[in-house]
Amino acid sequence: MAVGACPERNSGRHRGHFPDRPLASVRELRFTYPGADRPALDGVSLDVGPDEVVVLLGPSGCGKSTLLRALAGLVPHFHGGTFSGSVHVDGLDTRRVRPAELAGTVATLFQDPEDQVVFSSVEREVSFGLENLGTPPGAIGVRARTALASVGAEHLLGRQTTELSGGELQRVCLASTLALEPRLLLLDEPTSQLDAQTPSPLALAREAGWTGAVVLSEQRPDRVLDAADRVVFLDRGRIVLDAPRADALAWLAEHHPAFMPPGAVDASASGSGPTPSPTGEAICRLENVSFAYRGGPPVLIGVTLELRRGQIVLLSGPNGTGKTTLAKLAAGLLDPLAGTVTRRGRAAYLSQDPGRYLVRERAIDEVALGVAGDAERARRALASVGLGNHAETHPRDLSSGERERLALACVLSTEPDLLVLDEPTRGVDPERKQELASLLRHEAQERATLVITHDVVFAASLGEHVFILDNKPDVALV
Amino acid sequence: MLAALAATALLAHEWWAIAAIAILVLAVCVGAPGRRWPYLLGASITPVTIFLVTPFVEVRGVHVLWSGPTIPVLGHLDVTTEELASGALQALRLGAVTLAFAAYALRLDHDRLLQAAWFARRSVLAVAVATRLLPTLERDALGLVEALRGRGVEVTGVRGRARLVSPLLAGSLERGLNLAEAMEARGFGRAGATRAARPPWTALDRLGLALAPALVTAGVLWL
Repeated sequence: MAVGACPERNSGRHRGHFPDRPLASVRELRFTYPGADRPALDGVSLDVGPDEVVVLLGPSGCGKSTLLRALAGLVPHFHGGTFSGSVHVDGLDTRRVRPAELAGTVATLFQDPEDQVVFSSVEREVSFGLENLGTPPGAIGVRARTALASVGAEHLLGRQTTELSGGELQRVCLASTLALEPRLLLLDEPTSQLDAQTPSPLALAREAGWTGAVVLSEQRPDRVLDAADRVVFLDRGRIVLDAPRADALAWLAEHHPAFMPPGAVDASASGSGPTPSPTGEAICRLENVSFAYRGGPPVLIGVTLELRRGQIVLLSGPNGTGKTTLAKLAAGLLDPLAGTVTRRGRAAYLSQDPGRYLVRERAIDEVALGVAGDAERARRALASVGLGNHAETHPRDLSSGERERLALACVLSTEPDLLVLDEPTRGVDPERKQELASLLRHEAQERATLVITHDVVFAASLGEHVFILDNKPDVALV
Repeated sequence: MLAALAATALLAHEWWAIAAIAILVLAVCVGAPGRRWPYLLGASITPVTIFLVTPFVEVRGVHVLWSGPTIPVLGHLDVTTEELASGALQALRLGAVTLAFAAYALRLDHDRLLQAAWFARRSVLAVAVATRLLPTLERDALGLVEALRGRGVEVTGVRGRARLVSPLLAGSLERGLNLAEAMEARGFGRAGATRAARPPWTALDRLGLALAPALVTAGVLWL
């Protein structure tokens, strides 16, 4: 099925799920950001039933986040731009009602929890939205505590938001949205910072007994497709599929197999390339390494790990077990408190925050910064991550997935002997992940590669050597 | 109380009283958890500058310790014992004030303090967000430096660090926009907002409120 050939789309078929009227209704929405040369959304029509779960899929920059913002009224009110068509939520026309007035009916959990936290204390943070909605003062504390308990975060009540991990902060933000008891919950890449063991915000919300409608965008479909009633696939601002889950899976298998959950497709199809063979010399060896941040408890105790040229090692384990610390020790960004780290050749480290690779004004300059201004190498690195046509783009004009790929180009261009990647697939769409896996496997013989990832599909497509970190002493390579 | 201590340090005349206040707030800062040195360093820059500059811009005293050249505009440069004493007193005064601000940043639960304010909700919120700006900028700067080191670029010298100012500000603006968007999506600015019940005042809170004006009055009249 291609654009215009999808029988479900525009047929009104899904309106049969909600006999009265849809909770949210988008009609022929076309939206262009200020200064953009093409629309982010181009003729999008969509209905969402009162208790439906709609999953938005599509490549980076295809308009998923923009559609979520349109449902929250933030597009066009907050972002400006050119808007035509209509969006109605619970009977309210978002062109006439400001986002603040929609709050309570709609609640949004944004992609990066750190960018939505207002207060330092968890209790004040969860109370903020309730205060804005005019909740009686005596009820605010009770509802805030109930919301925290509903997502298993009541123990965080007295904590400071600045000292929480990414996963904990995401729970607090989810509690802040559920406390408003919205009818429509919008989730923008809700699992991007969560390990495989941590339930997704959608699962937490359902466990908490919340039964409203959900529209979520996701680049890890394996985490959410099971819960989906419908799947909407966007490409370049247009809906190319809007179908019930079963039909959507069949369509995805045919047109975009990378978006299929693991097990549904032939594993060999993902991440093609030669199987890395760790026959080369040792590039990095950590022996009985221990580490603690100043004034804090031990993060690593007696860890031993060897990385050889030609080898891709996956570093796995729950949130907060010291994976990033171990990666920084391997790359030479931290010094161990005890034990030894020996390294041969040049090391490069990819931070898990792509916002740290936005120093220069053009993407090509950003990449060239690490290779002494060598524009040709920078151009090759950009092309290798699919950003060849963005060389002149300002890095801050890239989407979150594109920023992640720019960061990758920054470290790949340095052609290191040891490549350390900390969550390299945040916000990257499944097809790009496959390309990245192929690239890493093709270049594996040139270096030792250490990858931290929560993304089980990406991990499966990469390698066979898994190092599990679980805060127990004397962890060894398995 | 911190505000009263700062006001008393500004109004008092006795050097020992000002020194006592400075030592008290310094002790409060040193006893605080977390990274204290950036705040203590920031609190010490202005007083040290005042101490160094005062002897050259003030003309006072007859006990000359050093006599220098005559500089156009500034005139004849010399340093007297009285100028040094005056500079030390002004530095001590200002040090007590800046340390009081450092103690505010290090020790107080800002959210609770701001929650206690029953007026000007938007201004209070602006202060809450601004209070988080400095630690956020510090963390962003460390992150930028680390990411650059991770691709083989060492950031050294004043010029190297100065190059990070622009991306730091751009990042800060972007974060500010994201935060504003998230706040609007959570209903900020809507009519009819309420406030969560404020925690009740303790006996210590009441004692502090009573002592604060008394301390300032004593500073003006007797210290």
